[in-house]
Amino acid sequence: MKKCFLLLFFVVSAVLLNGCGESGDKRVNLDTGVKSDNLANNALTRPVYGAFSLLIGEGIDLKDVKVFTNDAGFMEVQATGYNRAIYTKRFDYKVEWLDKNGVVVDSKASVWLPVSAKAKSTFSFKTVAPSKDVVDFRMNTRKTTE
Amino acid sequence: MKSLSKNNLHWCEGKTMKNLLILSSFSMLFLIGCAEVQKIDTTNDTGKQVLSLDYRDFDEAASKMIQSLISSGTLAKKDGSRYVVSTGRITNDTMQRIDTDLLTAKVEQDLMKSGQVVMTSAVGGKESNRDETVYNMRETRDSSKGEEFKQETLPQKGQIISPELSLSGKIYQRNLRYDKDKQQVEYYFQLKLSDIKTGLRFWQEEVLIGKRGSNKSVAW
Repeated sequence: MKKCFLLLFFVVSAVLLNGCGESGDKRVNLDTGVKSDNLANNALTRPVYGAFSLLIGEGIDLKDVKVFTNDAGFMEVQATGYNRAIYTKRFDYKVEWLDKNGVVVDSKASVWLPVSAKAKSTFSFKTVAPSKDVVDFRMNTRKTTE
Repeated sequence: MKSLSKNNLHWCEGKTMKNLLILSSFSMLFLIGCAEVQKIDTTNDTGKQVLSLDYRDFDEAASKMIQSLISSGTLAKKDGSRYVVSTGRITNDTMQRIDTDLLTAKVEQDLMKSGQVVMTSAVGGKESNRDETVYNMRETRDSSKGEEFKQETLPQKGQIISPELSLSGKIYQRNLRYDKDKQQVEYYFQLKLSDIKTGLRFWQEEVLIGKRGSNKSVAW
């Protein structure tokens, strides 16, 4: 019983405290093994948190999508996400570009392209429309095929 | 020793025949399964990777090249008109027999669709980049056969438009020993866009596609 409570305490602490105590410039991401360990993130709690993360299936969160028109008049899309998993996540994305009538603009660039997102890190990728007729887009993702 | 009775013999033969029939049926089904051909779903291919270059790699490289070129703004003329571009020499420096059109055809197609570029078939690094009809009709015009044609429909002298930019590049391969069981193969796709008049290079891009696989696999 005591052991169960102790384990539960470690799990809850690891989950709740993970990320606490981090300071510094958010633009710089210090990876585990680079930054100093703390109460929530050390050799003892990491395996516990890792197991929990795997159990609940943490993955990619989409944080932001920026759409703008570049100087040449082409739509550019930048997607920013955060990988909540404890391992590098790889996935493919494919963009379909739409004109003002909602019709897909065919392009040889509309193929599955790979993205790699480091564990517990923010990542971004950018894509450009093939034609100035493009006014909108839709994006699909899938797990990378090995 | 009991001699085999006729009934026993028949029973043995019957059972053997039955087993043989079952075995033959399974063998045939197995062979038919082996010979089955499947069409690749090129839109959403989830097939495994191969060590050599396949169509997915050319798609990926071409897509990245196209996006880099369009977003660079290099092809945006101030007056909104289109550049005349020719495809120069694309060298295949890999161990595979690759038609470099697998890369350039996709790039050319999207560049033309972008509205910023028109490709020329009058000159090019390879025969497939040129259309011999452009010159054949001029030879016809200058020969006796030319008299058969309506003269105003024949191409006149001084009408071919010279390209302003040239697309050239290279695909090359590096093979490395990863460990005792695996090899690493790196494919580098390089494209450059140069101004023909001045010789200046306005755009350049390199796409790397790396693969790791068993030493037993071949990358050619």
